[in-house]
Amino acid sequence: MASNVFTIENLAFSYGAHPVFDGLSLAFREGAVTTLIGANGSGKSTLFDLMTKNLKPRAGSLFLRGANVADLRLRDFAKLVAIVHQRNIAPADLTVERLVAYGRFPYRSFGRSGDAAEDARMVDWALEVCELADCRGQSVSSLSGGQAQRAWIALALAQGSRVLLLDEPTTYLDVRYQLDILRLVRRLNEEFAMTVIMVLHDVNQALHYSDEVVALADGRVVAQGAPGDIVSEELLRAVYGIPLRVVEVDGRPFVLEV
Amino acid sequence: MVSTARRIAAFLVTAAALFALALLAVNTGSLQVSPEQLINGLFVAFDEDVSVVYDLRFPRIIIALVGGAAMAVSGVLLQAAIRNPLADPGIIGINAGASLVAVVVTALFPAWLAFTPALAFAGGMVAFLVVYSLSWKGGLSPLRVILIGVAVGTMFSGLMAAFSSTGGGVSSSVASLVDANITMKTWADVQTIAVYTAAGLILALLCARRCDMLALEDKTARALGVEVSASRFAVSAVAVLLASVATAIIGPISFLGLIVPHMARILVGTSHRALIPYAALLGALVLLAADTVGRTIAAPYEISAAVIMAVVGGPVFIVLLRGARATYGE
Repeated sequence: MASNVFTIENLAFSYGAHPVFDGLSLAFREGAVTTLIGANGSGKSTLFDLMTKNLKPRAGSLFLRGANVADLRLRDFAKLVAIVHQRNIAPADLTVERLVAYGRFPYRSFGRSGDAAEDARMVDWALEVCELADCRGQSVSSLSGGQAQRAWIALALAQGSRVLLLDEPTTYLDVRYQLDILRLVRRLNEEFAMTVIMVLHDVNQALHYSDEVVALADGRVVAQGAPGDIVSEELLRAVYGIPLRVVEVDGRPFVLEV
Repeated sequence: MVSTARRIAAFLVTAAALFALALLAVNTGSLQVSPEQLINGLFVAFDEDVSVVYDLRFPRIIIALVGGAAMAVSGVLLQAAIRNPLADPGIIGINAGASLVAVVVTALFPAWLAFTPALAFAGGMVAFLVVYSLSWKGGLSPLRVILIGVAVGTMFSGLMAAFSSTGGGVSSSVASLVDANITMKTWADVQTIAVYTAAGLILALLCARRCDMLALEDKTARALGVEVSASRFAVSAVAVLLASVATAIIGPISFLGLIVPHMARILVGTSHRALIPYAALLGALVLLAADTVGRTIAAPYEISAAVIMAVVGGPVFIVLLRGARATYGE
């Protein structure tokens, strides 16, 4: 049996009086690309914030490979899990190289680098993988949308974590850059054995690039499994509340989103 | 973007200007000493002129330098902590809280004079905590901090004005604190401001990387292991220390903590490891310039450095912001 990276048990969370989750249980497979899908308000962003320690559950627990996430210090959590959030800003004069070097912050103690050679190696590797080696001296604010998103992913990679969490990494990008990012995600999984958990809006991208899809509706898991096994017109109606046709393209399910 | 060469040039030019201005300030006034006479009088043999300059002008010059550095770095830290380019120890009420305490201690409890900086720090901290807790609503809203800070600062300034006009201001040392005039300072004052400011500047440099991280989105900084709220608070506390100490010895200097960090960012960029030391240097230069102009422009009358800062600082600030779109455009 494959082990799980995140295990969620009986999670409850509410915004004020409005409950989002009440007894949510879920596990994410180690070594896979798992995508959370769901309509606006289904709870996927809230779940992402709970998994990244930006929100505290009202009840229940989240475990990262058996360790309770609530007990992990942010700094230790950052060594295990790298996160790319949806919205990012950088000072106008911050260079790509310096931004990516921030990824080594969790390894610093008392203002000193833990291992300068390792820091430099990880930064070079992250820039290389994200194809940013040529613009390492440029400012982040001068990059195109697609390049900037790769810079934020490179920052996360420099942390050296084996788990990568991405919140809607393709939002704000045109389709060419969306595919760029999703191919990079696949490569990170296949070539560097990283576990990836992401939130995506586009169903077809979720189906195409994921090993496993978790469909949320009203704070509950409606389905979880390999895309080909779970996608059906009934599921899509349960998730999005509207009828959507599913056709087969090249042997894979394809949702007609029009 | 700011190149390393430009950064080094900015440091060198500013340091040279600072040295030249300090020499000029030593010789500004009714008594003049030549450089040879100065060196001779300081290190070789007693010289009456040099001794007068040493006791009257040196403390004043050093206090302007150290106080300017403290106020400028305080501004840099607050702007990073609250992530608002308008943050300044004057605007958010820290100076008012610190100076109220300093004025009350100077007027009513002269026996505690030695503890004025520590007590002013307490006053500044109280003002800051009031502002901070009133503007906290599930997070720190940069806009609310400024609005509430202005209100709290105005209240403390009002209390100080009331105190000094009901008789507390008869003593000239109180009056000079209220006006922020760097006059009648002694070597004891130098020692006090230097010790506290040195401690504050060392702490500021230790916070430099953390300040860089706070410029990112809160969630992104947290993803990198930065406890954002705790870091904001720690960085702010260092800023309050620096501003309070300068205020305790000099009085509330407005604008310096706002303008100098902006000038410094334009010249050396936003990385705090360069920005903090450079802002210290530039702040020292600016306050000494203001003080030197203030005591010569209408001699024998003195205009306080704070007044010069307010009159000259405003227009300079506007010119800077209009010319620096690249730095502030999103």
